[in-house]
Amino acid sequence: MAYSDKVVDHYNNPRNVGTLDKSSTEVGTGLVGAPECGDVMRLQIRVNPETQVIEEAKFKTFGCGSAIASSSLATEWIKGRTVNDALEIKNTDIVKELSLPPVKIHCSVLAEDAIRAAIGDWKKKNSVAETSAVAAEAK
Amino acid sequence: MLKVIDSAVPVPCWSCAVAHNESILFCPHCSKIQPPPGGDYFSVFSLVPKLDLDLGMLEHQFHKLSRKLHPDRFARASANEKDWSLADTALLNDAYRTLRDPIRRTEYLLKLQGAEIGEEHAGKDRKDPSRVPADLLEEAFDLNMQLEEMRMSKKMGDTDPQLQSDLEGAKKKYNDMLDGVDSDLRAQWQVWDNGDEPSRLEAQKKMVSLLDRRRYVNNLVRDVTETLA
Repeated sequence: MAYSDKVVDHYNNPRNVGTLDKSSTEVGTGLVGAPECGDVMRLQIRVNPETQVIEEAKFKTFGCGSAIASSSLATEWIKGRTVNDALEIKNTDIVKELSLPPVKIHCSVLAEDAIRAAIGDWKKKNSVAETSAVAAEAK
Repeated sequence: MLKVIDSAVPVPCWSCAVAHNESILFCPHCSKIQPPPGGDYFSVFSLVPKLDLDLGMLEHQFHKLSRKLHPDRFARASANEKDWSLADTALLNDAYRTLRDPIRRTEYLLKLQGAEIGEEHAGKDRKDPSRVPADLLEEAFDLNMQLEEMRMSKKMGDTDPQLQSDLEGAKKKYNDMLDGVDSDLRAQWQVWDNGDEPSRLEAQKKMVSLLDRRRYVNNLVRDVTETLA
């Protein structure tokens, strides 16, 4: 099966590969996997606490070219968006952009799941951080 | 491709017109070759679907049927019979290759029961959290990081003995894990082969998630073995 030019481009020059500090309250981490093929994908975001804008996004994916391209594209797309805007990204958008064939649709699903997981982790951390800040003020 | 046809419907033999069960390669009455039957792979061997198969018996049947289907035997037969001997042989080979392999057999039987397995079905039931072995994700990720480091340092020509021994340990650990999954699968075979309808359904669910887990662990074993080689 031939990969589309865009997949090949993301595969050869993946954007935003790397790691963010998992322990920071500004960072959300999503770790997801596709049982069908054994791929594993980690996507991290650093969110501006004032504006809720995703200022940085990093990923690390072990898997096929389509999984790498999907997560690379996902980090490009979410950067500069607010967390709520980023949640609007659908796997079908990724499929369209990368011209993924039907057997590789799950790679895009994985990328969407990773975005959601990272944002979910950030939200969880921050409601915790907010309450503890409130608790600290109350003292 | 998988065809599930009601094999209880009798079909008349093209030659002697005696009705027979559809999923046979030769007419039991006149022994003439039949067109490729529409039943499942199990029925090609006159087996009911089950998981704990006698592989010696399966192989014996395979050789027997292969010989009977050999194109040389149809050198003077009609054009139809010639075609069928080829088509039946292809079907027999597919059936044998699928059923003799324990994992492919399990996947095949689960597909017959309506389970959606494999990449082409991925992502459809993503809301079902049991599909992702969450406890394994973290480990899989960390191991992949170590493997990457190992490949890099191998390329540079110096390998860290600590990393080497960590990976040797991981290789053993995941091999053991694979054995564990396989014995869990075999336990579910027994439940499925011998259980009533509700316990069969339960076993099917468990096998789908065991196969998911197995695919993961199997990839890890493959990658760690390749990297250490």
